[in-house]
Amino acid sequence: MSVAKDERVKKEKPMKVDDILNNDIWDVDYEPHIRVDSEKCRKCKNKPCLYLCPAQCYTLVGNEVLFSYEGCLECGTCRVICPENAITWNYPVSGRGIHYRFS
Amino acid sequence: MKGAGYIFDAIVVGAGPAGSSAAYTLARKGFKVLVVERGRTPGSKNMFGGRVYADPIREVFPNLNKSAPIHRWVTKERISMVSGEKMTSLEFEGKKNVSFTTYLTELSNWMAKQVEEAGGIVLTEITVDNFIVKDGRVKGIRVGNEEVFSDVVIDAEGINRLLLERAGLIPRITPNYAGLGVKEVIKLSKEDIEKNFGLGSGEGIAWLLIGDIMEGLPGGAFLYTNKDSISLGIVVMLGSAMERMKEHISRYVERLRLHPLLEKYFREGRIMEYSAHLVPEYVWPAIPHRLYGDGFLVAGDAAGLLLNLGYNFRGVDFASYSGYLAAQAVEKAHSLGGMSAENLSIYQELLEKSFILRELRKFKNAPKMRKNERLYDFYPYLINAIADKIFHAKYETPKIMDAFKEANKGRIGWFTLIRDLYEVSRSI
Repeated sequence: MSVAKDERVKKEKPMKVDDILNNDIWDVDYEPHIRVDSEKCRKCKNKPCLYLCPAQCYTLVGNEVLFSYEGCLECGTCRVICPENAITWNYPVSGRGIHYRFS
Repeated sequence: MKGAGYIFDAIVVGAGPAGSSAAYTLARKGFKVLVVERGRTPGSKNMFGGRVYADPIREVFPNLNKSAPIHRWVTKERISMVSGEKMTSLEFEGKKNVSFTTYLTELSNWMAKQVEEAGGIVLTEITVDNFIVKDGRVKGIRVGNEEVFSDVVIDAEGINRLLLERAGLIPRITPNYAGLGVKEVIKLSKEDIEKNFGLGSGEGIAWLLIGDIMEGLPGGAFLYTNKDSISLGIVVMLGSAMERMKEHISRYVERLRLHPLLEKYFREGRIMEYSAHLVPEYVWPAIPHRLYGDGFLVAGDAAGLLLNLGYNFRGVDFASYSGYLAAQAVEKAHSLGGMSAENLSIYQELLEKSFILRELRKFKNAPKMRKNERLYDFYPYLINAIADKIFHAKYETPKIMDAFKEANKGRIGWFTLIRDLYEVSRSI
């Protein structure tokens, strides 16, 4: 279990999504529950996943979208918004993934 | 009633409010019920804004007030229009116990405990892979190599509906019919909450905000006070957010947290949890829904049962009550001789007669109304500009009409204003 940092709410600079995510706990699956078809992904111009994935699982490196499934909050947004239908999203297996406690 | 290989009368997929309400009701009527939940504990995949309407849930769980994790009864409602560093609010205060704040994680866990106490079986850490479908009839569930059969499956898997999709029973949800909620739960002492928000012991506030905190994106922000934390977040509509969002969505939540008019309320707090979930934004009854079929029923978010009026959201009580009605439908179908689509169609009738579909039909224009972008951008500006001219008048107070004209600067005509007012009052 990760311990909440002593991050006061009032901050001068924006917090990184990673720092905010540090307050959450996961039991990360060994196998990714998200798959991205990079062929299809390359065709997409707007790439709304970069802005709309709340956990910022999708990042742009050069022209390629890289993704990580570890910090996924399992909202399913990426699957719904992907204009090229490039994302296969499954429920993580038995008990894995995000574990909300105060939501 | 059971053939060979049938172990359960009913399998419920998902131990959220819909699933546990269905299972609890069935277990109390003597049915053998299995609930399977993919999370480590019931509720660990659940997230919501922060407020639950009690009466429909109390009908399902009569001991709600006695033992449920009720954080605060909402005695204060505040709706604010924000524009820059100005805010105009409408506040209502009344001390009736109608809705309460909680963590949905806790409430779902409590509901699952009620299921177990009533004799139902709740298994966690079970991710269902598929429904067993034979000749168009749902016969049970498949988990890895295991198959479990039942007379009926109640799908309460939540908004992503992967199982229904895989079984070809329902199309994929599209961006125009879903919203995304993102929230931070901020730890704050009980004393600070009651002092900062002017609340008595055990009292809570539900606060909704629209305006330029969302940079003109259709959607809104919310704040709910829990026992010793606040839930602070936003809801955006996926369709418009896809086209218009320019920054990462967490920045919008952050702007809310750092907003000069808001941060004073929780300056001493610190973030406990960050969470996100989709919200159904269907237009009833325009979207054809599959709420039942041979051997299955759909309840809660998976059925798209949520009402968003902009000033209140009703999801948990709709989910819970739909599960309750699904259980009643199963009982009725059982007495009619089996779980055929025809016998289970009573579920649709029960929903139509209940407050759920009555409400969704009554407010069927609300989703369209909420797409009017002036509500998020121009009107908050206009109201604050008028209020500023009136309340910040140093020597001479302008007449309201003159303040309006000066604030409006000819940007909006009377016709548009009256039409928007009419649309809003007609829709909600």
